[in-house]
Amino acid sequence: MVRKYFHSRPHLAYILPAFLILGLLTFIPTLFLYGLSLTNYELGYDSFKFVGLDNFVRLLSGRDEEFWYSLRISIVFMVLVTAAELLLGFGLAVLLDREFRLKPLAFACLIVPIAMTPSITGQIWKLMLNAENGVVNYLLHFMGGKVIWLSPEHAFLSTMMVDVWQNTPFVALIIYAGMRSLPTEPYEAAAIDGANRVQTFRFVTLPLLLPVILLAIVFRAIDSLKTFDIPYSLTQGGPGSSTEFLSMHVYRLGFAQTGWIGRSAAVSVILLMLITVISWVLIRAYRKGVENRG
Amino acid sequence: MNAYTNKRLGIGAGSLLLLVCLICIFPMFWMILISLKSKALTYDPSVWFFSPTLENFKTVFENRDAVGYLKNSAIVVVLTTIVSIFIGGMAAYGFARFEFKKKENRAFWVLSLRMLPPMASVIPMFVMASLLNVLDTHLVLIVSYMLFNIPFTIWMMRSFFEEIPTALEEAAFVDGASRFRVFLTIILPLAVPGLIATAIFCIINSWNEFVFALFLTSAHASTLPTTVTLFLSVSGVAWGEMSAVGVVTILPVLVFAMIVQRYMIRGLTFGGVK
Repeated sequence: MVRKYFHSRPHLAYILPAFLILGLLTFIPTLFLYGLSLTNYELGYDSFKFVGLDNFVRLLSGRDEEFWYSLRISIVFMVLVTAAELLLGFGLAVLLDREFRLKPLAFACLIVPIAMTPSITGQIWKLMLNAENGVVNYLLHFMGGKVIWLSPEHAFLSTMMVDVWQNTPFVALIIYAGMRSLPTEPYEAAAIDGANRVQTFRFVTLPLLLPVILLAIVFRAIDSLKTFDIPYSLTQGGPGSSTEFLSMHVYRLGFAQTGWIGRSAAVSVILLMLITVISWVLIRAYRKGVENRG
Repeated sequence: MNAYTNKRLGIGAGSLLLLVCLICIFPMFWMILISLKSKALTYDPSVWFFSPTLENFKTVFENRDAVGYLKNSAIVVVLTTIVSIFIGGMAAYGFARFEFKKKENRAFWVLSLRMLPPMASVIPMFVMASLLNVLDTHLVLIVSYMLFNIPFTIWMMRSFFEEIPTALEEAAFVDGASRFRVFLTIILPLAVPGLIATAIFCIINSWNEFVFALFLTSAHASTLPTTVTLFLSVSGVAWGEMSAVGVVTILPVLVFAMIVQRYMIRGLTFGGVK
C-alpha cells in the first residue's frame, strides 16, 4: 500500500522531509500561539486560565492606547521607509547603470550595509548618533548644526534613517538587475516613434521595471513592518514609547517590562494577520505585474 | 543592452556615487576606528589619527567571553546550514524535476514562510522549548533557524537545478541508473557552485539572526548578535568594547558576503531575480 503510494508519487520522497520539518515548525507553534492568546498566562506563574477573546476585545475596543499607538507608528514606518528606500534605491540604480571602471568596488561598498548584522548596525549607529560624543554631530558642527538624534522628537526619524542606510542598497541592487535585463526592441520602437527621454522612461522603462519594483516593495514593506533588531539596539523602543513598533511592543509586553505572555501573544496574532493580509495584497499585485509584462 | 548602457559616468554622477559608497562603509570604518582607540580617546570624535591599540579586543575576549559567543555562533550556523542544505536541496530537486498536483501552491506556501514575523513564532517556541527543557541549547536554535534556511534553500536551489539541462539525466536513465543515483552522481556535482552560494547565504542569515537568539538563549548558547544586550544600560557604556565585539561579529559575514557577491541579487530575492 505505502510502497505503491510512493511509487505513483515519486516527488514525495524528495519533498517530504522538508515539508515535515517546516510543517512541524509552523503549524504547531501557530496553534500554540492562538492558544496562548486566549489565556492570561503570565511569565513566572504556573497557573493560568482561558479567558476567551478577552485579550482581543481589549485590543480592538480601543481601550488599549499603547497598542493603537504602536500599530500606527509601525504602519507609518513601513510606508515611509519603503517609499524612501524605493526612491533612493532607484536613483542609485540609475547611477550604477553606467559604465565605469571601479564598478566592482562600488558594489563591494554597497554590500557592506546589506550584510551587516542588523543588531550591530543599531548599536554602531547609537554610538555615531550620540548627541555629545557621536561622530555625526561632530561632522555637523562644521556646518553649525547639532541634532539630538535619539530624543523623543527625533528617535523615530533616526530609526528610519538607519533602516534606510541598511536597506537602500538592497533595493538598488534589485532594480539595477532589472535595468540590466531590459530588452532592446521597445527602445528601438520608441525611438522610431520619436518619443523623448521622459516619454521613453514613463511609457517604456517604468512598465518594464514594474515587476522588480513590486518585488522590492514586497520585501521592504513586509520586513519593515516586522522591524525589531534595529529599534532594539538603537533605542530600546524609547525614549518613552516613541519607537515602540509592533514587534517591540510584543517584546516589552511579554518579556521585558511585564510578563503578560497571553496579552503579547494576542498582539502577535494581530501582527501575523496584518502581515498575511499585506503580503497577500502585495504578492497579488506582483503576480499581476509579471503577467502583464509577459 | 538598453538605453543607458553606453552612458559613461560623468563627474557629477561619479561624485554622487562616491559619496553614497562612503556613507555605506563609514559606520563599519568608524566602528573599527573606535575599537582600536584607547579608553581616553574613545569619546572624542575629533580624533581620527592615533596609535591603535588592541586593548579593547583583549578585554572583550578575556572579560566578555567573546570566544564563547563565537563558538556558539559557529556551532549553530554550521549545523543548521548543513541540515538545511541537505533537506532543502532534496526538496528543491523535487520541485525542479517533477510535475505534481498543486506544485506551485506548495512552492508558494514555502515562500510565504519568508514573510512570517519571527515575533509570532518565537513566543510559542519559547513556551514550548521551556516545556521540553531545551531553552538555552544549541539544538533549539539549530532547529528554529531551519524555519528560514530550508525555504530559502528550496527556492535558491530550485532555480539552480532548473538551469541544468535535463538531457544529462535522461542519458543516465537510458544507461539504467536510478533517479536518486543520478541526483547524487550527476546533478549534485553540477550544482556545486549553487550549493556553495546557497550555503553561504544560509550562513550569513543564521549568523545575523537576532530575535530567536535573544528569546531562546540566555547564557550557554547565546550567539554573537545577542552581545548587544550586554551594553544596553546607559551608564558606563563601554564604547570600545561594544565596537570590538561588533567588529568580531561583522567581519566574518562581510568576508562571506564578498565571496557570494556574484549571486547577491539572486540570494536576496530568493532566486526571484537573477
